[in-house]
Amino acid sequence: MTDNEIRKEQDLIEKSKKDPRAFGEIYEKYFDQIFNYILRQTGDDELAGDLCSQTFVNALNNLPRYEFRGFPFSAWLYKIAGNEVNKHYRKHKGKIIFSIEELKVRELIDKTSDDWDEELINRLIQYMNELPTEMVRVLELRFFEDKDFKEIAFILDMTESGAKMRTYRALDKLRTNFNIKMKYDG
Amino acid sequence: MGKHEIRLRRQRIASRGSERFRNYGSVLKQHEEGKRIKLITKIFTFFLITAALILIFIMVSRWEKRHEKSIKKTSLTEIINHTV
Repeated sequence: MTDNEIRKEQDLIEKSKKDPRAFGEIYEKYFDQIFNYILRQTGDDELAGDLCSQTFVNALNNLPRYEFRGFPFSAWLYKIAGNEVNKHYRKHKGKIIFSIEELKVRELIDKTSDDWDEELINRLIQYMNELPTEMVRVLELRFFEDKDFKEIAFILDMTESGAKMRTYRALDKLRTNFNIKMKYDG
Repeated sequence: MGKHEIRLRRQRIASRGSERFRNYGSVLKQHEEGKRIKLITKIFTFFLITAALILIFIMVSRWEKRHEKSIKKTSLTEIINHTV
């Protein structure tokens, strides 16, 4: 996002604080992004739809308290969405589901040999199942939502170095265990 | 083992899949309802606190009156006893 775009968005948010109807533009802009983020953590369309609306209702309710901290507004929405998902799982005591797209996984990994097959994907999923949940959350935001570490730290309420450390550790393990290269810029 | 389960999606999440859940009118309605409930709760709490304060004030003033009366009574009997 350019500085001009961020400034424009801030103006719209200030306007929305006085007139909630103006928030409709923000809703339209980020709806798909937030819906897909929740869908990746639930794997259920209906549930994702409900939690997504709740996220925007909460955002609208708490808008007067929103302060710009140098991140795009979407970071705040991601944070609220994550809290909604956590609340849902705490209430229903279920396992958090991370529904990841095979195509995206293939895009992220540089195929260095010909053994890129079903078995490798299965092993990769098994490996990710064994990672701590917090680490998977960081990986999801970094690789599936394309967020930078500062934003990830804000969304997950952790330090930037903590987010980096979790990512590097997971990637190191991936490299050693699977002999694959990630398309990763660091 | 983490408290999560990784599931593989064979197809990309379609952007059109979310269309049937997109409804800003409903979000706005929920927000307005929440605001109204908050306002009603605030007014109700205000009246409740005011009523409680009035009740405490009445109770304290009644107790003070009764206390004053009993002091007067005892001091009067003390004077009578003293003179007798």
